[in-house]
Amino acid sequence: MDTLVTIDNIRKVYKRDAFEVPVLNGISLEVERGDFLALMGPSGSGKTTLLNLIAGIDRPTSGRIVVDGKEISKFNETALATWRARHIGFIFQMYNLIPVLTALENVELPLLLTKFSKKERRERARTALNIVDLGDRVGHYPRQLSGGQEQRVAIARAIVTDPSILVADEPTGDLDAKNAEETLELLRRLNEEFEKTIVMVTHDPKAALRAKRTLHLEKGLLAEGQYGHAVEEVAG
Amino acid sequence: MKFANLIFRNIFRNKLRAFMTLLLLAAIFFLVATLLAINAAFERNDTGGTGDRLVTQSAFSLANMLPFAYEEKIRRVPGVVDTAKTQWIGGYYKDTRNNVALMAIDPNKVESVFPDYKIPPAELAAFEADRTGAIVSQELAKRWGWKIGDRITIKRQIFPFDPQLTVRAIHHHPVQKSAIWLQMPYFQESIGNFGRSDMIWLKVAKTDDMPRISQEIDALFKNSNDPTETYTEKEFTRQFVSMMGNVKVLFMSVSISSIAMIVLLAAITMSMSARERVTEVAVLKAIGFQPRLILTLMLTEFASLTLLGGLIGIGGAVLFYQSVDAGAATQGLLENFRIDPQTTTICVVLAALVGIIAGGLPSIRASRLTVVDGLRRVV
Ligand SMILES: Nc1ncnc2c1ncn2[C@@H]1O[C@H](COP(=O)(O)OP(=O)(O)OP(=O)(O)O)[C@@H](O)[C@H]1O
Ligand SMILES: [Mg+2]
Repeated sequence: MDTLVTIDNIRKVYKRDAFEVPVLNGISLEVERGDFLALMGPSGSGKTTLLNLIAGIDRPTSGRIVVDGKEISKFNETALATWRARHIGFIFQMYNLIPVLTALENVELPLLLTKFSKKERRERARTALNIVDLGDRVGHYPRQLSGGQEQRVAIARAIVTDPSILVADEPTGDLDAKNAEETLELLRRLNEEFEKTIVMVTHDPKAALRAKRTLHLEKGLLAEGQYGHAVEEVAG
Repeated sequence: MKFANLIFRNIFRNKLRAFMTLLLLAAIFFLVATLLAINAAFERNDTGGTGDRLVTQSAFSLANMLPFAYEEKIRRVPGVVDTAKTQWIGGYYKDTRNNVALMAIDPNKVESVFPDYKIPPAELAAFEADRTGAIVSQELAKRWGWKIGDRITIKRQIFPFDPQLTVRAIHHHPVQKSAIWLQMPYFQESIGNFGRSDMIWLKVAKTDDMPRISQEIDALFKNSNDPTETYTEKEFTRQFVSMMGNVKVLFMSVSISSIAMIVLLAAITMSMSARERVTEVAVLKAIGFQPRLILTLMLTEFASLTLLGGLIGIGGAVLFYQSVDAGAATQGLLENFRIDPQTTTICVVLAALVGIIAGGLPSIRASRLTVVDGLRRVV
């Protein structure tokens, strides 16, 4: 396996008025292609901050981030946006679907930035919805879907452009046990069957068990976790 | 455009709010289109006149009449081809709502000074031969079913008499569609041979001479008891309009303040709408939508909303004035009133501008929002 993400000694300091809040204090990390990484740690430890840096929606105060051979920490805003459209699929805790668009239209959204024809876009969006097992809900609006279904639509939206990395910030944080279970199973399938590299932030040790690897973030520093390759144990 | 669906859905995201905004916009633009079109109508000053006529009246006011003797003096000014003294009488047919523009004229002057009324020669001859004859417009004739030979009574407005007339001729003036002519002698006799009239029209040989002729005429009577003021037909109409107060300025300021008000209200609505969508905008940006695209989408949305509201109001006004006789409602002042193409264009552009101005700030703010701030909703 080759390295997809290289994080090299990054620091992130937030400036609020006169105060400087150091959040990440020199973190280095490598993510292999095809990995499923869980990021854990107490609230406020900087998990979201680190995930945002990998996803290219935020930039480090210092240090290098290389994804798929590109040093994204050097990109400007415009280049980053273009890069994200191609390489990153986002999954959020609150699903964040567009309420005025149907499931199909929500999934189609990232494809509007591509050169695909309307027919191709619709086909791809349908395929993505089939993968998350919502082929029969294409015309539904977010408010007509359950939380679990909404999150699956969001996952379909994240995979529809076939990105290099899926980033998920507490994807099960707002779901009940059963729906959380289904969502995690779906992520595992995407990782195993479709070989998607996934970086997931979670508070839930059970969720972390689904990942191949777990990292702990504490006081701005990383530690290798005790969970890993434990899917079978939980399932059994 | 592949984003049309997204824009359309966002416009009607909150149905009630969209509906109220559209209603308000439609109402305001109905009003503004009306006011601007009235101004345009005044501006055009389209009397349908011949362009070679001047009119002399009292320098004091229209209510101050000029002695008949003035006509002959004016006639002798070099360059004047012919003259016709006339008197505005006014009045209504049957009901006060049915105003007519009743005027008195010496019958032998109709053809030479007012050829634009286009009267068949035989009918004109019949009018000249009948002391109580009348020339009515084809529009009035059609409206009231008048035929040659019919007896009609016009009710008084200013003068203490109700003219009893016989329709002798029908005129086909392109603009003066509620005009009725009667004979000056009949009018004079009815009010006790006053020997004065409020206007003296004159036809000139060369239009280039008009400034000199009006100066010469006014100089003639400068030191008399009845000084005059001589205008071109266009100036006369304009002066008539300003006599009713400075309507134009009033209409303009009402229009501008209406637009300013709608910009403010739209700005509030649009900021609200943009604020509700902070997270969504952040998500779109995370997905890869560039700030410029976000700006374009939002501005297009806001401009489409106000444009749609404006189109409803302007279209409504166009149809409304097509089906309503504004001439009758305004006592002939707004004869043939229509929302003209130029006003329509101006209003449509204004409607789109309202959206761009009102939605500008919220759109720029949304486009500048960073993904991280938007997702955390710190704004
Ligand atoms: N824009 C910002 N400005 C200032 N401080 C910030 C900003 N964003 C985050 N922080 C601070 O950085 C720290 C880490 O935040 P982060 O959201 O990464 O934590 P987290 O590990 O994801 O927490 P949680 O588990 O609660 O989501 C927190 O102390 C937070 O207050
Ligand atoms: Mg977090």
